[in-house]
Amino acid sequence: MTRSAVRTSELTAPPVIRIGEEARRRLRDRLLSRVSASIEGLPPGGQVEVTLPLLRRALVHPDRPAMDEEPFAWKPVFVRRSLGLAVVSACVTGRFRGPSEAVVPIATDAVAEWERTGWRTFHWEPWFSGLPSGARAVVLADAVGWATSLWTAFDWTAFAQVPQIGGADDHWTCPAPRTVRLKGRSELRVPLTAPGSVPRGRQRSDTPVALVSVSGGCPEQGWAEGLAYLALTAGLRSSSLPVPARVMGLWPDAGLHRTVDIDEGALEVAADRVARTVGVVVGARLSTAPPR
Amino acid sequence: MLQMDVDRRAGNPREGGGRSQSTSDSHGGSRSRREEIACGQAWSHPWRPLAGPALLERLRVTGRPRPKVDPEFVLRLRRHLDAELATGSTGEGHGDVDGAPGRGPDAGPGVGPVSGSRAGAPGPGGTFSRPSPLVVTRDRLTRVLACEAHYVATEFGERTPTPAMACGAMIDVLLRQLVCVGSIGDPMADGLAALSVDDHQRGLLSWIEQLPPRDREGLRAEVERQAEGLQLRWPALEPGWLPRTHEAIRAQLAGGSVELSARVDLAIGRPAEDEASVAVVEIKSGARRPGHRVDLHFYALVEAVRSWAPPFVVATYYTMTGELDVDPVTDELLVEAARRTLIGARALRRVADGIEPVRSAGTLCGWCAVLPECGPGRERLDGLGGRDTTRGEGR
Repeated sequence: MTRSAVRTSELTAPPVIRIGEEARRRLRDRLLSRVSASIEGLPPGGQVEVTLPLLRRALVHPDRPAMDEEPFAWKPVFVRRSLGLAVVSACVTGRFRGPSEAVVPIATDAVAEWERTGWRTFHWEPWFSGLPSGARAVVLADAVGWATSLWTAFDWTAFAQVPQIGGADDHWTCPAPRTVRLKGRSELRVPLTAPGSVPRGRQRSDTPVALVSVSGGCPEQGWAEGLAYLALTAGLRSSSLPVPARVMGLWPDAGLHRTVDIDEGALEVAADRVARTVGVVVGARLSTAPPR
Repeated sequence: MLQMDVDRRAGNPREGGGRSQSTSDSHGGSRSRREEIACGQAWSHPWRPLAGPALLERLRVTGRPRPKVDPEFVLRLRRHLDAELATGSTGEGHGDVDGAPGRGPDAGPGVGPVSGSRAGAPGPGGTFSRPSPLVVTRDRLTRVLACEAHYVATEFGERTPTPAMACGAMIDVLLRQLVCVGSIGDPMADGLAALSVDDHQRGLLSWIEQLPPRDREGLRAEVERQAEGLQLRWPALEPGWLPRTHEAIRAQLAGGSVELSARVDLAIGRPAEDEASVAVVEIKSGARRPGHRVDLHFYALVEAVRSWAPPFVVATYYTMTGELDVDPVTDELLVEAARRTLIGARALRRVADGIEPVRSAGTLCGWCAVLPECGPGRERLDGLGGRDTTRGEGR
């Protein structure tokens, strides 16, 4: 078996456990009580948005958990994921032989669509279209590299159903005294159905899913909680969809993957990490706030 | 082991050769010049650089069978590196990656070629912190192995840009453009535009923009000449071979306390199944140096440890001359690369721990900031009559 086949098999194995509604409610209550305690010191109107990068940063740099506040400006690194996902999606359908063949037509089509209709599929179209050719090539080459790592990570023919590639982030707003928003982003949502049990392309809303998250570098301290956090956010977002049964993290630079089978314990630890992170962020803000 | 497609005496561009001698065509080159380059007449020697399918064939067929994928061999290599680096470490970063109860990739031979681990439930993270790993790169290895004292003296200084550095940076991005888009327009304009979207190149870009007109024209001529050769000779790569540029490759060792890190200019080939299937190509815009080979051996090692399969070939393509150095990857090559990496990593750890660096006389002495207080360096220069005009790598 190839590495990609083994990885695919690990990802699509039958779920170990299913999180029920009662457990989901307990998690929600646990998170709310702990986050409420952490956020008490934040002034009225203050808010915290929790993301996977923030969780990581708060663990490594608790003294400065927030990224430096620079005005947003488009860069190739901000494009490669969305363009890379579109490239992988196109390769999965068999339209192209590989990412390097797909990237130019996809980017060109996106820009043409924006110019024709004003609709931005990816948001970066106006920036990209204004770049000189050399800079555009960097954007495209970065996206090819990113897409290739995801494309080669799995045996795409082995999925019983085509995974959802990309899609909207998961959001959940915690009803705490101050606004705390959880945001989770995963690259794939893979239905965990036995081959042949559901027609390819269809998915029932109660079908368990596995998430796949792609990161740069090497697995960092607390990777398991980070992966469980994605399941936590997806699980809280909608009570009509099952809590993801599994999350796989890919670190293509390091050639590594890690898998967390989601049970209540995993989600509790993730919830506690969220509360700790919120506490770190609030503490850092208060320590840098000018005296009144 | 090194196999060459070229005569080493060859490769000097014709004196005065360059874009200024002929009329530009629509591709930013000159028809006669393009023809000369394509058929090798741009050099005084009858040797001709490989081009197109012949260049590709030289990369694909190394003269040796491609290595079989052998996870057991890679595991032994990993374990050796782990054990040796852990011995030399100060105790940080051992054990599971983050305390989670999953099995790590180095857990044992049963892991095979799949480097995953599974965690039923995350452990109580956040209770301890792991110091940053010792990051071992090609450049750091080369410098610390040349002289630890020189490495320490130059560790935090920014490198002053040079025309060669600027040319190299632009040829790097132009190769990416050629591989990804299939063509290069105005090489200088495309190169500068590519650097402008890379935050790490701000300093270099600013330096280029402030060059006096004459120097800037010199840089332009060289970039155009090399880009022209690249366009004429570099073969188109099938999408199915999954060509990718600037691929970051990393390998964690010794429980995460050491990280081997590299970025390869061009990787071609699908992930290995039964036999090695990836070719790694480094592009050099400058002159050939012996040290380039060991740089690539380091890449082969990192890729082998990362992917549980080595590349089947590592190659350096010299855009100044069109030379292609091809090294088939063997177990012996990987073992030697591991040995060198271990020596270098230990030296890097020593200097990181603040231990007095070892001073090694070598070709860097003439440019070294700590020469005045360096006995071996002064002795070397005294022996050379105070002048050292050579420059190269150390051990």
